[in-house]
Amino acid sequence: MPQLNPEFFVSQLFWLAVFFTFLFVFLWRVSLPRIATVLEKRQNKIDENLSSAKELQEQAMEIEKKINDQINKAKLETDEKIKETINALQENVSSQLSSLDKDLEKKVSDAEKEILKSKDDQMKNINNEIVNITKLTVGKITDIELSDNELNKVIETQKGSFN
Amino acid sequence: MAAKDSPLKQFEIDPISNIELGGYNISFTNSSFAMLITVLVITLFLTLTVNTRSIIPSRMQLISELMYNFIAQLLSDTVGDNGKRYFPFVFSLFMFVLIGNMVGMVPYQFTFTSHIIVTFALAAVVFIGVTILGFINHGIKFFTFFYIPGVPFYMHPLLIPIEVISYLSRPISLSVRLFANMLAGHTLLKVFAGFVVSMPFFTGVFPLAFIVALTGLEILIAFLQAYVFAILTCLYINDAYHLH
Repeated sequence: MPQLNPEFFVSQLFWLAVFFTFLFVFLWRVSLPRIATVLEKRQNKIDENLSSAKELQEQAMEIEKKINDQINKAKLETDEKIKETINALQENVSSQLSSLDKDLEKKVSDAEKEILKSKDDQMKNINNEIVNITKLTVGKITDIELSDNELNKVIETQKGSFN
Repeated sequence: MAAKDSPLKQFEIDPISNIELGGYNISFTNSSFAMLITVLVITLFLTLTVNTRSIIPSRMQLISELMYNFIAQLLSDTVGDNGKRYFPFVFSLFMFVLIGNMVGMVPYQFTFTSHIIVTFALAAVVFIGVTILGFINHGIKFFTFFYIPGVPFYMHPLLIPIEVISYLSRPISLSVRLFANMLAGHTLLKVFAGFVVSMPFFTGVFPLAFIVALTGLEILIAFLQAYVFAILTCLYINDAYHLH
């Protein structure tokens, strides 16, 4: 078995020491720091991107909040305006209604007065007509000539029984 | 020495240039050449793929980063925050064994991890380093590592020697595991390759198909053994920090 032949043991150990030491020092001082730098650089980049993404998200949330605030404010203002307008309209309507009511009342009372007045006039006319008719009738039937005053007196006395 | 077409011939060491230093034979051999190739592959790959240092990695750069993260994760899972300073060593060990195994899978290429002296040297470095680390961290209290708390007192005379033996056999188990896996795998491949040639007519395709499947398995084992070597190193480092 060639492995157990000690002829080249020293040679193998020597070259193993040389090559392995070289490899170790080279990797330790050159290769591994390079890879570590790349990995670190990448990690930094990722962290940076993550933090800037977080920042942007925060900004977006802030803007969204502002927009919501403004929307709410606008809503409140609109509600207020609508309420105000409704109130103003209602006031307007009620004042117009009341003035209309007043007008109507006045017109009604005027009309009532006129009706009363015309009733009185009519009553007077009726009285005159009654006097005239009575005078004519009595005059035709008899030769008695009645004076207006007498007839009016009679009518006045009889009026209570008419009513 | 193995016979000319023995399955073990592939493990023979051939000097490429004979060098002698202070009376010792330190010839540059096919084993040293495989180590050189391994080190070149690792250093060039890890250097060139990460050369652009781009934030969005290319596929090749991604492989380097995945290897980096694989070992970093392994170390932080087993050792925790203390493990960071051993990362270069564990990473070098993992890559050296992994690429050494993979270079060995290339036909006609030598597998240095199939030599017990190499794997034992690597395991011994881990073992000695971890033992020194244990004494640095805990001083003389490190010996309480062999004392298992919560066990009836009459068991200790039995358990302490077992613990000491199991601790001392760590470098042996660590090195033999890798060496034996590589030796067995490559020997098996070679044996079946011999069948392909020696079997009559077309029946040679059967061992050939088997070799193809076995090569896949061997690549898996090459990775698995490097992983096992690295994870056991991590566990030993962890033991040097946390006694029972």
